[in-house]
Amino acid sequence: MRFKQPKNKMNLPSIYMKITNYQLIKYFSIVFICLAILGVGTSSSVFAQTGEELFNQRCTQCHQIHVDGTGPKLYEAQKRWTDAGEGELIIEWVQNNSALRASGKSKRANKIFTDWKGSVMNTFTDLSKDQVKSILTYVDSQKPGGDAKGKDGAAAVADGEEAKDKEEGSGWLWYILGTIFITVILSVSGVRRQLKIVTSESPQQERLTYFEEFREWCWKYRKYVGIVSLVLVLSVLVTLFKTLGNINVMEGYQPSQPIAFPHSVHAGINGIDCKYCHSSVTKSKSAGIPSVNVCMNCHKHISGAGKPYEAEVKKIYAAAGWDPGAKAYTNKTSPIVWNKVHVLPDHVYFNHSQHVVAGGLDCKQCHGDMTKMKEAVKVQSTAELNEVEGNLKLSKPTLTMGWCIECHGKYQINLGDGKNKYYEEIHARLKKEKGQKTYKRHLNDNKGVSVAELGGWECAKCHY
Amino acid sequence: MSITKKYWKGIDELKETPAFLKSKDQEFANPNSIEEFLADEKLGESSTERRDFLKFLGFSVAAATLAACEAPVIKAVPYVFKPENVTPGMPTWYASTYYDGISYSSILVKTREGRPIFIKGNKEHGFTKGGVNPQIIASILGLYDSGRLTGPKENGKDSEWGTIDGKIKGSLASAKSITLLTNTVISPSMTRAIEEYKVKFPGKFEHVQYDAISYSAIRKANLQNFGSSFIPSYDFSKAKVIISLDADFLGTWLMSNEYAIQYGQRRNPDGEWMSKHFQFESVMSLTGSNADYRAMTKPSELATVLSYLISKKGVNTGVASNLPAPIKAVADAAAAALASCGNQAVVVCGSNNLGLQLLTNKLNQLIGAYGSTIDKTNTLNLYQGDDEKINQLVSTVIAGKGPDVLIMSGVNPVYSLPNGQEFGAGLKKIKTTVSLSAYMDETASKATYVCPPHHYLEDWADYSAKQSEYAVAQPTIRPLHKTSSALETLLVWIGVTGRGGKDSKAAYDYITETYTGLGLSDFNFTVHNSCVEKPFVVATANEIVFKDAAINGLPKAANLEVILYQKSGIRSGEYANNPWLQELPDPITKVTWDNYITMNPKEMEDAGYATTYDQENGLNLATLTVNGKSVTLPVYPMPGQALKTVGVALGYGRGANGEKIGKSAFQTKEYGGHVTDENGNPKPIGANVFSMTKFENSTYNYTSAGSISAAEGKYIIAATQIHHTVMARHSIVRETTLGIYTHNDKEAYNPAHVLQKLDEHGNHVKVPVSEFDLWEEHPVEVVGHRWAMTIDLSSCIGCGSCLIACQSENNVPVVGKDEVRRGREMHWLRIDRYFSSDEEATIGTRKSEDIDYDNAEHPSLNPKVIHMPMMCHHCNHAPCETVCPVAATTHSNEGLNQMTYNRCIGTRYCANNCPYKVRRFNWFNYPSYKKFTEVNPAQDDLGRMVLNPDVTVRTRGVMEKCTFCVQRIQSVKLAAKVESRKVGDTDFATACSEACPTNAIIVGDWNNEASVVRKSSKDKRAYQALEEVSIKPNMWYKVKVRNEENKELATLQNTKSHH
Repeated sequence: MRFKQPKNKMNLPSIYMKITNYQLIKYFSIVFICLAILGVGTSSSVFAQTGEELFNQRCTQCHQIHVDGTGPKLYEAQKRWTDAGEGELIIEWVQNNSALRASGKSKRANKIFTDWKGSVMNTFTDLSKDQVKSILTYVDSQKPGGDAKGKDGAAAVADGEEAKDKEEGSGWLWYILGTIFITVILSVSGVRRQLKIVTSESPQQERLTYFEEFREWCWKYRKYVGIVSLVLVLSVLVTLFKTLGNINVMEGYQPSQPIAFPHSVHAGINGIDCKYCHSSVTKSKSAGIPSVNVCMNCHKHISGAGKPYEAEVKKIYAAAGWDPGAKAYTNKTSPIVWNKVHVLPDHVYFNHSQHVVAGGLDCKQCHGDMTKMKEAVKVQSTAELNEVEGNLKLSKPTLTMGWCIECHGKYQINLGDGKNKYYEEIHARLKKEKGQKTYKRHLNDNKGVSVAELGGWECAKCHY
Repeated sequence: MSITKKYWKGIDELKETPAFLKSKDQEFANPNSIEEFLADEKLGESSTERRDFLKFLGFSVAAATLAACEAPVIKAVPYVFKPENVTPGMPTWYASTYYDGISYSSILVKTREGRPIFIKGNKEHGFTKGGVNPQIIASILGLYDSGRLTGPKENGKDSEWGTIDGKIKGSLASAKSITLLTNTVISPSMTRAIEEYKVKFPGKFEHVQYDAISYSAIRKANLQNFGSSFIPSYDFSKAKVIISLDADFLGTWLMSNEYAIQYGQRRNPDGEWMSKHFQFESVMSLTGSNADYRAMTKPSELATVLSYLISKKGVNTGVASNLPAPIKAVADAAAAALASCGNQAVVVCGSNNLGLQLLTNKLNQLIGAYGSTIDKTNTLNLYQGDDEKINQLVSTVIAGKGPDVLIMSGVNPVYSLPNGQEFGAGLKKIKTTVSLSAYMDETASKATYVCPPHHYLEDWADYSAKQSEYAVAQPTIRPLHKTSSALETLLVWIGVTGRGGKDSKAAYDYITETYTGLGLSDFNFTVHNSCVEKPFVVATANEIVFKDAAINGLPKAANLEVILYQKSGIRSGEYANNPWLQELPDPITKVTWDNYITMNPKEMEDAGYATTYDQENGLNLATLTVNGKSVTLPVYPMPGQALKTVGVALGYGRGANGEKIGKSAFQTKEYGGHVTDENGNPKPIGANVFSMTKFENSTYNYTSAGSISAAEGKYIIAATQIHHTVMARHSIVRETTLGIYTHNDKEAYNPAHVLQKLDEHGNHVKVPVSEFDLWEEHPVEVVGHRWAMTIDLSSCIGCGSCLIACQSENNVPVVGKDEVRRGREMHWLRIDRYFSSDEEATIGTRKSEDIDYDNAEHPSLNPKVIHMPMMCHHCNHAPCETVCPVAATTHSNEGLNQMTYNRCIGTRYCANNCPYKVRRFNWFNYPSYKKFTEVNPAQDDLGRMVLNPDVTVRTRGVMEKCTFCVQRIQSVKLAAKVESRKVGDTDFATACSEACPTNAIIVGDWNNEASVVRKSSKDKRAYQALEEVSIKPNMWYKVKVRNEENKELATLQNTKSHH
């Protein structure tokens, strides 16, 4: 059984359009406000801004500004080196600390090394002198207990309040036109009727009501009326069916979460690979929400002390039973209860490893660009997903079956490239068929082999 | 050709009763008629009016619409610290060991997110080689049984371990005599702990082992013949001739799960050689149904058979050896077979009569079986119960002279002793009685203290089932309740260790200590494999010499001999509250949820009992009296039952005094709830006949004389045997004999279906049915995968392990007796049991005048049996697919017939159109409807944990059927894709093929030319059931070959091959 590609060209005001327009406005205003703030800000802050970015990208895995982590706190580090009389050497230290230690020209370098029990700092030879300086300047600009809110991403948690739908569609125009049209028809027919009564002498005719007249008319042109009403009924049914197929309840679903976790910081600024936390994505059907011990790999050191997100990190500590003061586990754990965002019905079997490993899909195809997701995770709409670079463009609402099979119909599998021995075997078997009917069909339609053609549209691929 | 062999599933079909004829063309037996529904008086009592109805309708539509528009909030709770080897969404397998006092097996346990959900045999390690039985697979349900005790009890009231331990320690210290009554202990650590008791309480402590089903006579016979009390290891794979006397060695006798695998190896007619199996028995057992020759033999005639066979070896035992003609014919064939097979033969006897076992030993000795098929050195450690010792203990307890402290573990003597009631009363006279029982069962409810042990999947344990092997059972889940390891409990009471709570390591530590003490190393590796070879001392030379012993006390003949047998599903009743096993149709009678008196249909007719029944009309009740004890049960027609004998299954009638042993162990009412007796206690299923066993000649005997008399009334029985009938289609089963198979070509025993057509020259030619086709060829033949299955009817023994494995894997609901009675059982896989008897006229021909029907053998007297597993055939031209109005059942490119539950609207056209009748309609909401609260484990939060998360739990109003375990197909394909490799031939196994002890079910990718299934389907024995319908199934059967001489079949099939 083959599914026809639905040609949904009817401009039904679908729900996602509304959301998209609203969100576009929202994003536009956010960007505008940001630009405005930047414009107002002093030029010196531009320097610190790059320092902040660099700090977030390169340093935060080991260092914090105001407290010691894996490495010492960085606040006023420059001052400490200057106090030790080696103010200029800090640049060399950051760039290549082992070389500095080996050169023997810095006493402080060796002291830090022994103070920190020989833990070796990474080298950053790619950082220029100015870049290192910008980091240090940024760090020193963060006064303890400062009010640097809003710059860490974490603070930008879902602002909750759903604004009213401001979208003004072009539907009203049609309604007005329709009303005018109907009025015109009614008045014309009324005039015609009056004329008929006037011209006719027969009293019989007079008694006919509108309805009777209509019925008579219908009977007279019953062939056309029949055909037209059949077409009408059918088109209403088709429209209904298609509309039902486009109903989505998932797009835009953004439940609140117990911890304001910004993907933009972790996946975006820090550049942590998705698979680091969602590690079972390559092995299992579920990508897995990372267990708290994975969070603790980094957050043992990144407590966010003094930062606006400190409260959020403390929630992780509470879950893991970690006492940041004593730097020890208390064994009093309590799991974090997240709200599941991407929910499929129970009768659907979906396997992440199938798509990510065997299919080679990027996470962003279905989840969007998480590096920009500052708020709680949300089911992205198709329009949003289509904007992501490299994504296969789809039209059906996200997380509906139409969306799944649309992708299965479009996504191509390269059977013949020999990269995957499994598909190589399937390829070899295709060629074995008598007359190579199926093989030739795949070869000649110039479209390659889609998932659907390998059975991706079969019911029992996902439903059992 | 006008004669053919007749195959029938039940007496109804044989006799073509009106009810059978009426129902045979109906897929759904008698649904509630409208009149019946409207006649329900309760209906009139309801106050819902039409307007109300419309209001409700409108409201529910609105509510449903609103509910559908809002996504439910679903919580996701990740681990705080993820265990290293748990990946959410992926199964983790653990090797472990199963032992319940009756069965033993090395197993693999599948866990998902820390929940054990499936059990299968471990084919790589352990001497059981993956052999499992229905109980072992179904034991997973016990873990989540809400009827289990959740903590220790004192005098029936909840208590704490600390309190109870203190009191028991006090009782032990002050006791003058302590007895520990256990089932057979095969655990080296437990044995060590018991030794510590002997040291701690010198002269005061006694350990008595007690098996509910005793094999004491074998040990005693060996003690007399060889000077050592042992049960040897049997190897049926080495036996060219197998003679079994009342021993159901494939179903219930000793290590039947081990023997089934050995037996299966030699039932392949294409193998090096095929064993020849003779069975002398009274009740038709699973083993008897598989025998090449079967003689209906009364218990009192078994000695004569043995004596006859011994006399053929030129030895006179002094026991009479004159046999009735039908038995003599079989015995002669057996003697002839014995004469030509050298020492490659084995004789086994299932009776617990010492004299019979001595005769058996003698015959084995004459054959030379010791050292060949019977291994006396690597003996079995199971079934060490000594009946004399038990009987002595029971007598003292009943007399009120019992020990001061009686600790009972793994036993339920109040239920399983012949004088259990008296023993129960005697327990009250003992100062302190302690029961280590998981349930408040018959015995535990009379004990002072009840200390529930862990379920075996929560516990550490070690076993040595055979001398040569040491095995470990490891926990697969943290204990669900406040239970405690039995080993720890015993150790705590002698102060060896303290209570450790849920995460206690006491048992583990003790076991590792034992392990090192045995001179073994690398415990973790042993845990990984679940077992390790253990050095053992081979018996000394003088014990090997065979010493004749005097034979007496043989079973006496009587007017009516009663056999108390075990059903392979329920056995001794330990799993009476396991709904999967209760609903497993008995391999022969196909009856579920009941026990009954089995009687030969010929005798039933003579005595005036009804031999046919249907969903509304039951069977006659009769009262059976044995040893002064009576039970009233329905009389069931059992073809092949020896005349002048009746049989009753043990293991029923559990919880007769309302003991809390689990909700599924009792009879249920039509609309839910238990049937209660006059005391308000739930009524047990069937009747307990352990009271009819008798201690005689130093052993417990399961056969004795009795009398039967008709009782008032009828009893409705739920049997599946004529359900899902195949509507007079005759190409379903095919059988032949080894002689015909080896000497004739395929046409003789496996002719292809041909049709005539005109060729291009205008001549009539015969062409195979497959050439005629309405449909275009499906591309599954070559492209991609094509999943296929072959079932070898020669190997299939009908044990039912596949059925239970399927139920466990695919979340198949339990429906209860009332629904089974209506033909609504949900099993995706059924095992059709066909009886075959004399000839009948081929369809379309008149009955031949040559056959004298009046003098022909009574067809249901002793028929032959064929077991045929039947499930969805995944036809490439499936009739079900074409009739579905909503395309809910479709065909996949891989040859699977897919069922999409969410599309199904329940028209049931597909089931009507299915020629194999393998589609099942979901009549009710089994996981929530009150009718199934008692029987369906998925109805409570705990029971639900056993469900396989990869398979949908189907809802009411949809069709379901075998999917070929599509979830497994998908997962093996995915694994291949992820690892960038081809799908290996052995990668894919369905639940049924994995569970099959005889390897009868083979599955695989047919398009893989090197696959076993491809080869098997091309075999000359391979045929497709109902091939003439030309629906091209992806499933083949292989002709059953019996190693027998069968003149009728030979005439029939030889003529065929010549025309």
